[in-house]
Amino acid sequence: MDTPTRHATSSIDPALLASIVKGDQQAFSQLYDHSSTLLYTLAFRILGNRDEADELLQDVYLEVWRKVARYDIGRGTPIAWLITLTRSRAIDRLRARTVRGQQATMQLDDGVSSRVADLGPSPYETQADQELRMAVGNAITSLPPAQQQAIELAYYEGLSHHEIAARLNQPLGTVKTRIKLGMSKLRESLRRCWEQGDIG
Amino acid sequence: MTHEELEEAVPLYAAGALDRTERQALEAHLLSGCQSCHSALKEYQSVASLLPFGLSPLQAPRALKSKIMAARNPDPLAVESLSKENTRPSLEPGEWMNHLFPPIAPARSISLPWAIGVASVLILSFAGYLAWIYTSRVTADASKIQQLEATVQEQTTKMAMLKRDLNFKDRSLADLQVDLQRKANDAVELRRQLMEQEVELETAREQLTAAVRGKAPQDEFAALLRRSDAKVVSLAASDVAKGASGVLLYNPVTQKLWLYSANLPECPNGTAYQLWAIDQKPVSVGTFHIDAGEMAHLLVKRMPQFEKVRKFAVSLEPAGGRPQPSGPIYLAGQRS
Repeated sequence: MDTPTRHATSSIDPALLASIVKGDQQAFSQLYDHSSTLLYTLAFRILGNRDEADELLQDVYLEVWRKVARYDIGRGTPIAWLITLTRSRAIDRLRARTVRGQQATMQLDDGVSSRVADLGPSPYETQADQELRMAVGNAITSLPPAQQQAIELAYYEGLSHHEIAARLNQPLGTVKTRIKLGMSKLRESLRRCWEQGDIG
Repeated sequence: MTHEELEEAVPLYAAGALDRTERQALEAHLLSGCQSCHSALKEYQSVASLLPFGLSPLQAPRALKSKIMAARNPDPLAVESLSKENTRPSLEPGEWMNHLFPPIAPARSISLPWAIGVASVLILSFAGYLAWIYTSRVTADASKIQQLEATVQEQTTKMAMLKRDLNFKDRSLADLQVDLQRKANDAVELRRQLMEQEVELETAREQLTAAVRGKAPQDEFAALLRRSDAKVVSLAASDVAKGASGVLLYNPVTQKLWLYSANLPECPNGTAYQLWAIDQKPVSVGTFHIDAGEMAHLLVKRMPQFEKVRKFAVSLEPAGGRPQPSGPIYLAGQRS
């Protein structure tokens, strides 16, 4: 049995991306090792399907390989850039699937809960990543369920507040307030994380 | 749209919850250079970037990496130099939007077409901003009217329910008052009947007392005392019954013997006093019992052979008496 390789996802060195710009394949391989678990988790959470998550991750990494020169360290950490790119592409794919008439609901075909993380340690994580995951998990689960649900529908399903209000059969103002309050509470709970330079 | 409303839209923007027109309106505002909204957006974007860290980690398939490594273009990829990129100011308005949603088409160098494009975006954004203000206000007003209508409807319903409850309670109160009046009348009638029954009971008690008194043996005893032919025998107390006394009265007509004893000690459990008539030998006349707190006792027996008896005595015997005296003598006396 292989020993899992541990890579700190939350603290990818921006120099790695600078090396990739220069065509360093080793650096690209390292970037994949550092980030693939988180990006695959995110893709699966949005798409709810392993095959589609596989395809999406291929697209994302190839786009990174081609356009890494556009990354600007002044606008965020490498992992924040990769997360934004992955989420954006996954939501595009989800909307395209919905337009094609397919079900947009998650399938969770492997029985893997992709909601809030269980807070136990994973052998694939560094201690820093574990701590960050626990901090984020705690912050999310401490939100009232309605706020948590509204944020997840926006972030992971790409729904606007109008669409969320329609789906939940709630007044628009209520949904906006839930998202606003939830995000505000998360900002206060997690401020320490980006102030320490973990992400952001 | 006020600045406050735009500021409130920032967290929704970061969570990805704004519609296209709303998003464009906020982006136009950010392009105008609002620093407070910029700062807030940067923090909310950081929050949004942290959200996936809260998910349960799911490892990508092992084969995926080799597929990606094989599929990428091995040629040098640096389109623009890093040094050039890094000279740009961080969070320059508009740039972070590309950061959020990286364009699929390759970036172009700064040129006149790019400037025209930016200007077009600005104009479109501003138009979108105005449209969003209008639609937002119409939507908000309609929503408020609907809420007010719903509130009025709800209050009207509550009012109707309260009126119904009030009518029901009024009726209940009237019923209770009638019931109370009826019960008060019943109580008066019962009290009157009770008083009548008490009077009847008192009368019956008096009649009973009179009847009982009329048949009391004491009267016969008193009449016996007044007879001149009555025989009397005094009984004196022995040492075991100091302070006690007794007297025998005999009616020669009825042949009844009356023993009246006083101050005899109470009988211990399982014992009784026994009266003996003694001629040649003691003969039992009868037994009697003195209970706790009882000072005197009257014993009446028929005794045809009274004239033959010389002496009388009272002894303490086991309950039910004995054929011959076996216990201590308490009273004794001779016929004169």
